[in-house]
Amino acid sequence: MSLTIYGQSLDSRLLIGSALYPSPKIMQDAILASGSQVVTLSLKRQNPQQQSGQQIWQYIQQTVKQNKGFLLPNTAGCKTAKEAVTLAQMSREIFQTDWIKLEVIGDDYNLQPDVIELLAATEQLIALGFKVLPYCTDDLVICQRLYDLGCEVIMPWASPIGTGKGLMNPYNLETIRLRLPDATLILDAGIGKPSDACLAMEMGYDGILLNSAVALADNPVLMAKAFANALSAGEQGYVAGIMQQRQTAHPSTPTLDTPFWHQP
Amino acid sequence: MKVLVNGQGYELALPTEQNLQQALQLFLNNNQHQGTFAVALNGEFIGKESYQNTQLSANDSVDVLFPIQGG
Repeated sequence: MSLTIYGQSLDSRLLIGSALYPSPKIMQDAILASGSQVVTLSLKRQNPQQQSGQQIWQYIQQTVKQNKGFLLPNTAGCKTAKEAVTLAQMSREIFQTDWIKLEVIGDDYNLQPDVIELLAATEQLIALGFKVLPYCTDDLVICQRLYDLGCEVIMPWASPIGTGKGLMNPYNLETIRLRLPDATLILDAGIGKPSDACLAMEMGYDGILLNSAVALADNPVLMAKAFANALSAGEQGYVAGIMQQRQTAHPSTPTLDTPFWHQP
Repeated sequence: MKVLVNGQGYELALPTEQNLQQALQLFLNNNQHQGTFAVALNGEFIGKESYQNTQLSANDSVDVLFPIQGG
């Protein structure tokens, strides 16, 4: 069962970041082990004395080539719509993709998206021909507005970036899924454990975007495989149809012909 | 004429250096110049096709960005 992002069909429902790994080699191995075909990356200033950035870029290019994948540049660090639009245009020139993971941060403490600037940036970028994947809070109305602007993909947070706290507000996330049945919903940020990803997939989310949970694991390659399995389990559970919870106990074993010791 | 490049001050003495295409050769080392980068001038994106026709002015702020890992 594949994930479709702006018409592009993908074999994996996992989108993965390229940051924070112990080494470029482990990054490459973990991404390949995850099966993900979408790798996020960014743009930053570099002084003439620095060389390392180009090496990382070469590793990311090799990795994406190996898994027949796609780059998803982000606008990390932007705090205004203007900054985000400029950075998106720079990314498009470099990476030759209209996809942009749109981040506009409103608070330095919890890196919460500034949804007002996010909406403004989304509108401008769509007008410029971008295919926007906005990182937003788990606010139903904001998600609706993003969808109405033309975002086929919406990416609410599970919890603040890098916290690993998992799904802070499952009710909000379930409501977004219920109210936006046609949107491609990808849970982004705050995932800590494979079971977090599984839970979101059981809710009917279309995919998961994560980075720290794999990169900061003791064994990133094994954790990448664990997440791939968790996504599959959650997706299959959703498709299979999860039973309704019941208030009272119901015996699983048939009660007809119960043995003699319960006879009066 | 002084300009800021990635927040660092540079003095451009010759008129020819005030062209963005030429100035980038001064700002970047060889690997960077032959590598992958994109440019913004005073917060506005400047496409590669426009480097040759872009003149820098005093106190302009140039950002030269490179690919890096990200989440």
